[in-house]
Amino acid sequence: MDSSQISLGVGARPGPDLPGPFAVGRYAKVLQEEMRKRARVLLIGEVTGMGRSRKQAYFELRDGEGAVPCVIWLNDLERAGLPEGALRDGVEVVIAGGPDYYPGGGAASPSFSFRATHVRLAGEGDLMARLEALRTQLRGEGLFELQKQLARPALPKTIGVVTAEGGAARRDLLAGLARRGWGGTVVWAFAPVQDRHAAPAIARALQDLAARPEIEAIVVTRGGGSLADLWAFCDETLCRTVAMLRVPVVSAVGHERDSTLIDDVAAIFCSTPTHAAEAVVPLDCGAARRDLGRMALTLRRGADGAIGARARHLGALARGPARALQRQRTFLNQKTREIRAASERGIAERAASQRRIAGLVLERARRRALGQVERAGEEGRRHGVALDMASERAVAQRREALRQAAVALRAHDPERTLERGYALAETEDGEPLTGAAAVAAAGRFSLRFSDGRVDARTAADPGPGTGGDRRD
Amino acid sequence: MTDSAPASYEDAVERLEEIIDRLDSGQAGLRETLDLCKEGRTLVDYCAGELDAVGEGLKELNLDDLAAKLDSSATPGA
Repeated sequence: MDSSQISLGVGARPGPDLPGPFAVGRYAKVLQEEMRKRARVLLIGEVTGMGRSRKQAYFELRDGEGAVPCVIWLNDLERAGLPEGALRDGVEVVIAGGPDYYPGGGAASPSFSFRATHVRLAGEGDLMARLEALRTQLRGEGLFELQKQLARPALPKTIGVVTAEGGAARRDLLAGLARRGWGGTVVWAFAPVQDRHAAPAIARALQDLAARPEIEAIVVTRGGGSLADLWAFCDETLCRTVAMLRVPVVSAVGHERDSTLIDDVAAIFCSTPTHAAEAVVPLDCGAARRDLGRMALTLRRGADGAIGARARHLGALARGPARALQRQRTFLNQKTREIRAASERGIAERAASQRRIAGLVLERARRRALGQVERAGEEGRRHGVALDMASERAVAQRREALRQAAVALRAHDPERTLERGYALAETEDGEPLTGAAAVAAAGRFSLRFSDGRVDARTAADPGPGTGGDRRD
Repeated sequence: MTDSAPASYEDAVERLEEIIDRLDSGQAGLRETLDLCKEGRTLVDYCAGELDAVGEGLKELNLDDLAAKLDSSATPGA
């Protein structure tokens, strides 16, 4: 406010730099005028604290960040053509108007308000525009990603659920969990799911659940409705709370996917509570039990099979050497037979060959010998005549020599001497006694003449039976 | 093979599937096969325990009930 607009009635100043002091009633009047000069705008928010006086209706228009007190003349409200009772707590409305200030009166208190001249229920378009603005803001802050980065257990043992106590969503969720074969613990945190109290209550319930360490995942769910009905789940504070939780949140709000802002910030969103049951317990427990049984069987067969197969292999290996020996023995026997057969053939062939060669050699030798014989015969015949003549001469010569030798020999033959009257003294055994001593020593002897033998004894010999000397 | 307990059911199942794939490949030696089967049996026991923990019927608690129950069990002599 420009201090020049207000004329001062007194000159005293409370401080060195401030204008005034002004009379407050006058100031209030100027303030009212200034407020009414402010630009007229449209506001959107939730109606709370709805009330009426004789001339006007009053309420607060509020969202997650703040509120403005509003008033509307009843005749303006009637012109709006709203259904009876439509303007009530919890509804989203769009109002047109501007700020106003009531300076008060003698008995009435002064107040600030937003003077609405028009009012209508907020449409989908209005809400979508607000939702998109919020969505852009939260996405820009990276709040959509935080929950999606959390690990979601396949088989949680304890889950938390935020929903309306009497809602159908509770029943549907339980049915879905039962179909999963899941029999863990559900911790309920009931909260209103529609009106201006819903968002703070839901946020508080989520925080309380997340504070329990045994809770591994949380479901937030409610049944279907219009965007205005679901508007609590687009609350900025609630969505910021969800984004910052350490526990993954599954949202199943309304029956349309991705319609509320909590769907964007949650770890996963679903269209129905039944789907939320499958999301919060990803494992089909019945199927998992069957799979586990199969895997256990596979493992047992794997161990038994590995040992059995190797035992059989080892057994085969143990029998291997004997089989190998047998194979080698058979092989050797076969080769021996082949070699024998081959050598017999070879020997026969070689023998035949040698016979052929020997025949050829013998034939050649025979022919050569025959040739030599013929040649020798021829030569023999040639020398035969000379040989015959030489032989006859040699025989004659030898015959003459022999005759001469016989003559010479005969000349020396003692028999020839005997023939001339000599006698030969011999022992009784025929050995010649060639001296007197020998005869004296022999005592008995024989004299051989050419015509016979005469026994004799020396005189000294005693004769037969006497043993004394005897003279002839 | 690790001697520590698996971090979660899904980790255990993932490892079990690896083990079974390896066994099915027929490339594991006898020692490795026996080790894998031993590890696999431990994992199966763990998974069976996890399934048993959620196999005894669904229980419902209010948050206040849970807090009271846990607080009483945490108080000696309660």
